Amino acid sequence: MRTLVLIVCSFLLFGCSEEGFLTSGRLAENIAPDASLQYSGNFVPTAGISVAGAAQIYFSEGSYKVQLTGFSISNGPDLKVYLSKSDVPNNFVNLGNLSSQTVYEIPNSVAVADYGYVLIHCQQYNHLFAVAALTQN
Amino acid sequence: MKKLVLVAFLFFGSKTLFAQGCSDAGICSIDKGFDRETDSVRQVIETAVVYSLGEADVKYVSPYVAYTKHFSSKFSFTARVTYSTATGSFGTRSQFGDAFLIGNYRFKPTKQKQWSAMLGFKFPFTASNLKINGYSLPLDYQSSLGTIDVLAGTALKTGNFDWQVAVQIPVVNLNRNSYFSEYSGTNDFPSTNLFERKPDALFRATYSWQLPSRKLTLRPNVLFIYHLGEDTYENIFSKRESIAGSDGLTVNLNAVANYRLTRNQQFEVSVAAPVVVREVRPDGLTRSFVLGVSYQVSF
Repeated sequence: MRTLVLIVCSFLLFGCSEEGFLTSGRLAENIAPDASLQYSGNFVPTAGISVAGAAQIYFSEGSYKVQLTGFSISNGPDLKVYLSKSDVPNNFVNLGNLSSQTVYEIPNSVAVADYGYVLIHCQQYNHLFAVAALTQN
Repeated sequence: MKKLVLVAFLFFGSKTLFAQGCSDAGICSIDKGFDRETDSVRQVIETAVVYSLGEADVKYVSPYVAYTKHFSSKFSFTARVTYSTATGSFGTRSQFGDAFLIGNYRFKPTKQKQWSAMLGFKFPFTASNLKINGYSLPLDYQSSLGTIDVLAGTALKTGNFDWQVAVQIPVVNLNRNSYFSEYSGTNDFPSTNLFERKPDALFRATYSWQLPSRKLTLRPNVLFIYHLGEDTYENIFSKRESIAGSDGLTVNLNAVANYRLTRNQQFEVSVAAPVVVREVRPDGLTRSFVLGVSYQVSF
């Protein structure tokens, strides 16, 4: 009976995908050589998660960018990069999906000085994975 | 009838053509929940494939299979499972969509009148957050809206006319979509991060015209769907925001040709196109053209 249930569930969850123009990988964001490091902080994991690396915020040509350096983290579904006002995801700017890219642009309307943390958060299951408390450089 | 259709086209002709599709909402195909079978039929299996065109360059192939069990001459129960493949600039994404469980009750007929009522639920197979290569996809590429909905309605048959009213109310929101237009590389679709959808109300009027051979029945119909409020999403600043223009009316013209192959087998073709649409359609149910074929066997 368990096997039957498993087969039925597997069938229902079956799906497939094929990349298209907008999902085939875009040009990676880069930090300009003359960019100045404004804030940085090392990631600390939450319970049951392993993480390594740091978040660094650079300013260049009128805009801020977050760079994850030496970064690795436990696998998780739907991980996001947040620039947050606190060490929990209550008031934050969603910078997008955590992916193989290491640089995330911060929208120009954001007052970066008001945000003291970079969070890695699983949005789908509302689970915080890692926190980097930023300090000014 | 021809004049009526012509007048409708002239009246609404200036609008861009988009139909509210049926891949998820269920409300478009809600007449399937109203029982038309004779008393002698106990069980019905239906398979169908729907081809449709959506927003931007998105195309859909959406098959479904349905099973109906008649417990008595009055009460029947239908289970339906949908699947959807969406193809466009984001790529191709296929997945099971929703399961519909619908009960139908036919009241005792009176002179030339037959009332029936239906009550059902829609259960999603996904949280509406399917991705390709780690990229979040708009709702137009999702096989389900990720909501558990209640479907309720009533139908009246008078002579050759069928009149249906129904509502589809999301009661549990499991939607975890994470699509942001800002990060997608296109402006074709609005942001729908953590989307919350409002209910729909439906009114459909159908005229049934059986040809002399009695094998072919044509059912032109007009379908009004009113979206009862603006949908919302969580913007990049973690604030919930209404999507202006996402409420309002959609009107579809639909023509159905039903051919009875044998006493127990039917083949049906359905073509639909819209004449009035909502200003903004973030739910991904928008279609500019819908063509469906179905085969039904009863025993």
